[in-house]
Amino acid sequence: MVGLSLGEKHFIKGGIDQNIRSDGRKRDSYRPIFVETGVIPQANGSARVRMGATEVIASVKAELGRPSALHPDKGKVAIFVDCSAVAEPTFEGRGGEELSAELSVALERCLLGGTSGAGAGIDLTSLIVAEGKICWDLYIDSLVISSDGNLLDALAAAIKAALANTAIPKVNISAAASGDEQPEVDISDEEFLQFDTSAVPVIITLTQVGRHYIVDATSEEESHMSSAVSISVNRKGHICGLTKRGGEGLDPSVVSDMISVAQHLSELLMSRLDSEISAAEAEGGDEEL
Amino acid sequence: MRGIQLSLNQTQKIRLQRALQQLESLSSKVNSNASVTVADTIPINNEDSILKGHGTSERGGEVVATLCGVVERVNKLVYVRTLRARYKPEVGDIIVGRVVEVAQKRWKLEINFSQDAVLMLSSMNLPDGIQRRRTALDELNMRYIFEENDVVCAEVRNFQHDGTLQLQARSQKYGKLEKGQLLKVPPYLVKRQKHHFHHLDEYAVDVILGCNGFIWVGEHVDVRESMVEDQTENAGEQNSRSHKSLEDTPIETRRRICQIANAIRVLSNLGFNITVEVILEAVNLSSKLDCGVDEMLGPEFHVALAEREAQRRSQSKKKG
Repeated sequence: MVGLSLGEKHFIKGGIDQNIRSDGRKRDSYRPIFVETGVIPQANGSARVRMGATEVIASVKAELGRPSALHPDKGKVAIFVDCSAVAEPTFEGRGGEELSAELSVALERCLLGGTSGAGAGIDLTSLIVAEGKICWDLYIDSLVISSDGNLLDALAAAIKAALANTAIPKVNISAAASGDEQPEVDISDEEFLQFDTSAVPVIITLTQVGRHYIVDATSEEESHMSSAVSISVNRKGHICGLTKRGGEGLDPSVVSDMISVAQHLSELLMSRLDSEISAAEAEGGDEEL
Repeated sequence: MRGIQLSLNQTQKIRLQRALQQLESLSSKVNSNASVTVADTIPINNEDSILKGHGTSERGGEVVATLCGVVERVNKLVYVRTLRARYKPEVGDIIVGRVVEVAQKRWKLEINFSQDAVLMLSSMNLPDGIQRRRTALDELNMRYIFEENDVVCAEVRNFQHDGTLQLQARSQKYGKLEKGQLLKVPPYLVKRQKHHFHHLDEYAVDVILGCNGFIWVGEHVDVRESMVEDQTENAGEQNSRSHKSLEDTPIETRRRICQIANAIRVLSNLGFNITVEVILEAVNLSSKLDCGVDEMLGPEFHVALAEREAQRRSQSKKKG
């Protein structure tokens, strides 16, 4: 964790109270966001997202597998987060594990909905190739390269961008098998299906510092937090998930206030991310030509 | 231009490229053959007795560079001065550091060097300002002066025989820094100058450009009042002092601090040398463009500042 002197701590707190944070931002504004897609060639989709000095990479790998017996009409998605020791020396060895687990659980909650897969940001039924027999398994791996606060929001943005970049090969069932046998499949090298990412939510973390709450906290600001609420909101403005970190409790009225703020901010963040992603996709396309 | 990652639109990209090209064309070509990359041969003009210094190696009768940088010659010694390197202290440098440890009779400071620097209690002016031998009591009260994580400004005193670096803070202008923010820039962007302490009168802001790439931007403090009169009054004084330091920074000053800090961040992103003149120019530009403090880190201001700098350098070149 960053060490700050008393004077600096007080300065940061005072800045939040006066609505000018250390880098001139207001309490409800984000740092500049930079998106690059297609950074890992061997993955089906990948993206790198920078928010200020926070940098994360997300990649999507698709593999054919069997759907679970309980949900024969749905594919499977797994989210993993890894914190690189490059980001912070304390992440070395097993040091980052706790944080990784916390982040991946929060992401799964926000993006995948319930265990049944209902209400997931990713439409799991679209991953089915042959019902009950073959489906796509998506492995979403993300890596924290540099950590300067607000990791969850950056990870969610990176996953959204990676999914937008993902192309899943079209699968033709060549020989329909009868009974329990697995059908033979033919994976096309040329035809790809694009994901519909319009339902993937964005996550907005509101960090409570003193009497106010802020978005996109840097790690310096996070060292003051009493509690933080992460709210995932989809394009329709509906809440998809909510997690709270930090020991201190919150008044219910503050939580509902936070939710309405997050709802409002999500529109801005969503449109900003969309334009960044489409710009990144266009850029990637230029390089390929 | 490593590390500029901005979402520029097409026109901004072209403008930035043009500004950077202009800057490149302005840079002096006099010593262009003195800059080397790894494995470049360093011409030694058939002198027999040269001394191979840092970043050089002999290969097949030729001296080659093992680092990227500029070839420097001092009499017979030939060495390569690297362009991007960790901070290398020199005696007399003014640095800003952070206390990492309070040890026996000394503080250890993180100063971006390959090792921590040492600030001895005996090379500090005591708060009461009296020159005397440091007693055991002074040693016990060291945390009243600086504690862990405090940001401290000091001067490089000397190197010990074992290579450790000693600092000193024997003047009122050195000491603890409060009410402001510490910025970290690559140390090669801060050149050694006559003045490293700057009081920007019109903004009521202090800027300290540490040679080690740590820059302090904070509210202006008048020459430190003699803080602790007597050791016995320590506790009471301490309270009143901490109370004083908890006073809020006025909003206008804070806005200026953030504006100057953002100007420094943009300059370091663009890789321009950081001097107080350039910082003020950037601040004025942001006021002139009516660019809000929070918009300064965006792409438009980066491009505008690069163009301004290109223009400024070409003008000064014409004059010179």
